[in-house]
Amino acid sequence: MKVSFFETARYCAPQALPSEWPVPSGAYDREAGARAYRDMIARLEYVEELGFDWVSVSEHHYSPRILTPSPIVSASFIAAHLKKIKIALLGPIVPQSNPVRVAEEIAMLDTLAQGRLVVGLLRGTTNEYLTYDLNPAEARERTDEGMELILKAWTEPQPFGWQGRHFQYRTISIWPRPLQEPHPPTYALGTSRESCDFAARNHLGCGVSYGSFEAVGRATRYYREQCARYGWEPTPEQIIYRANMLLAETDEEAEALLRQQPNQRPFTMRAGVSEALNKLDARNIAGEARAPIVSGALPTTFIGSADTVVEQVRRCRDVVGAGVLDLSLYPPGSSDLEALMRALELFGAKVLPRIRDI
Amino acid sequence: MSAPGADFREGYVEADGFRVRYLEAGHGAPLVHLHGAGGLRLTPAHDLLARRFRVVAFEMPGFGLSGENTKTRSMAELASTMARAAQALGLDTFNLMGTSFGGTTALWLALQAPERVPALVLEAPAAIRPEGSEPPSGSPEEMARRLYAHPERLPALPAVDPAVRAKTQALVQRLRGPGRDPDLEERLRKLPTPTLVLFGTLDGVIPPAMGRIYKDLIPGCHLVFVYDAGHAIGAERPQAFAEVVGDFVERHEAFVVSRAETVIHP
Repeated sequence: MKVSFFETARYCAPQALPSEWPVPSGAYDREAGARAYRDMIARLEYVEELGFDWVSVSEHHYSPRILTPSPIVSASFIAAHLKKIKIALLGPIVPQSNPVRVAEEIAMLDTLAQGRLVVGLLRGTTNEYLTYDLNPAEARERTDEGMELILKAWTEPQPFGWQGRHFQYRTISIWPRPLQEPHPPTYALGTSRESCDFAARNHLGCGVSYGSFEAVGRATRYYREQCARYGWEPTPEQIIYRANMLLAETDEEAEALLRQQPNQRPFTMRAGVSEALNKLDARNIAGEARAPIVSGALPTTFIGSADTVVEQVRRCRDVVGAGVLDLSLYPPGSSDLEALMRALELFGAKVLPRIRDI
Repeated sequence: MSAPGADFREGYVEADGFRVRYLEAGHGAPLVHLHGAGGLRLTPAHDLLARRFRVVAFEMPGFGLSGENTKTRSMAELASTMARAAQALGLDTFNLMGTSFGGTTALWLALQAPERVPALVLEAPAAIRPEGSEPPSGSPEEMARRLYAHPERLPALPAVDPAVRAKTQALVQRLRGPGRDPDLEERLRKLPTPTLVLFGTLDGVIPPAMGRIYKDLIPGCHLVFVYDAGHAIGAERPQAFAEVVGDFVERHEAFVVSRAETVIHP
């Protein structure tokens, strides 16, 4: 099993924040922001030392919870500070990006980082579509087309034009090309049938997140079935599972930590906005409909002592088939950094060495 | 919406002893079309192009309603017959568009008479093919699965008379040339004609990767991928196809310069 640390540049707000998303920019504290990024690098140096295989970053907007609106910027900064670890760019949100720009930036960063890049392409969570005025009803089509264009821009050796539905270019011919051939290991992220189909058709990996082993396992099973239909079989490393982990000395202690977690999302949208988004967006797990907006807190699927967690990882491998775990360690999304460092230490000492062979 | 080609009128010209049928509509600069191995079938793209050009779609001798063609010996000969057919219509110069098999014919015509062809458009051309690639054949359903990325979105193809199919297949096999023709490819290096090569990203007859070979060989070649289209691009994505073809025929290499307006609220 390979292990990735999901880095969110945790921001410690000096005072209580409004609870509505988008969170007003005026509530941002510049010094706290600068500290968040300094701490991020210090933390990741430790993560690298512990022997994590990857550090992952994501794209989220208008929120103190994850301070990385441009994952390519965070990934570049991290790549410059760390020497060995792979950088997993598990953004960018394709439907609201210029696909040619994404292809160029990733190629450039893969080369700057001497081939240490891993890439995930995704549709983004529903609320993100407010950021750049994207019609949620068009997001799926724009994602599929954008991903295909990014792959083409990386691999086509001759200048070419693109006559799409949502994107049109007359001349594309990127420099530099990615250092890794033909391009960095790439994943389509998401549990939807469309995302799994795209990954299977284009020989990409598949990344799933946060659901129970059984729920995301339905998506990865569907993905593997589709790969077989296209005549190939993904390696374990081509399936990423992103999840929350609450690790403590004992199971009881971990359960107690879970009870302290808020069971609501830290920032919520106004009801009229959520409803309007829900009407235009549609989500599914391997074809089975699910609600576009999850209102509760994201579930924690690894919880307990080191022994318990190791067994859960084993079960995850069997049920989900994942060969890469992308982990948010205690406390997911919170700003208690000392607790996070203790969890990292415990994970590095008691879990990491025991899940390598799973 | 009327059936594709409702505004086209039928005519005949004589060329090299053949009575050549054609369908014509529109005004302005002439755009001659040479069809693929399946014969002449108008698509919504023809209608869109006829709003900007005088579109003349020929039925090449031996296809469709014409008699069996046992006379034409090579693609080069077919090209010269089609050049004479255009001449018989009074077209000294004409923009030329060829589809698949007809793309090879169009290439030969442009090589033979570059001064007569201001711009050349090749829709999924068949002049360069990987080994073992065969033109689509079989029932209308089988044909649709080969030609289209999304056959379920399009009207069913008409059934083909077995006699027509037999005479056409023999002609295509005789004329289409090898998958790689060193003589033709050498000549393409000197083709002076501005050329647009289009491939659907989901072409199931000829791999879209063949496009880069044209781009590599022809000095003034532009390659455009039409997203989510199969082999019959004009049938599957008519607006996307006609927009880029029209822009290229009018502006040649300057078509890379965008004229799209992005002002939202002036």
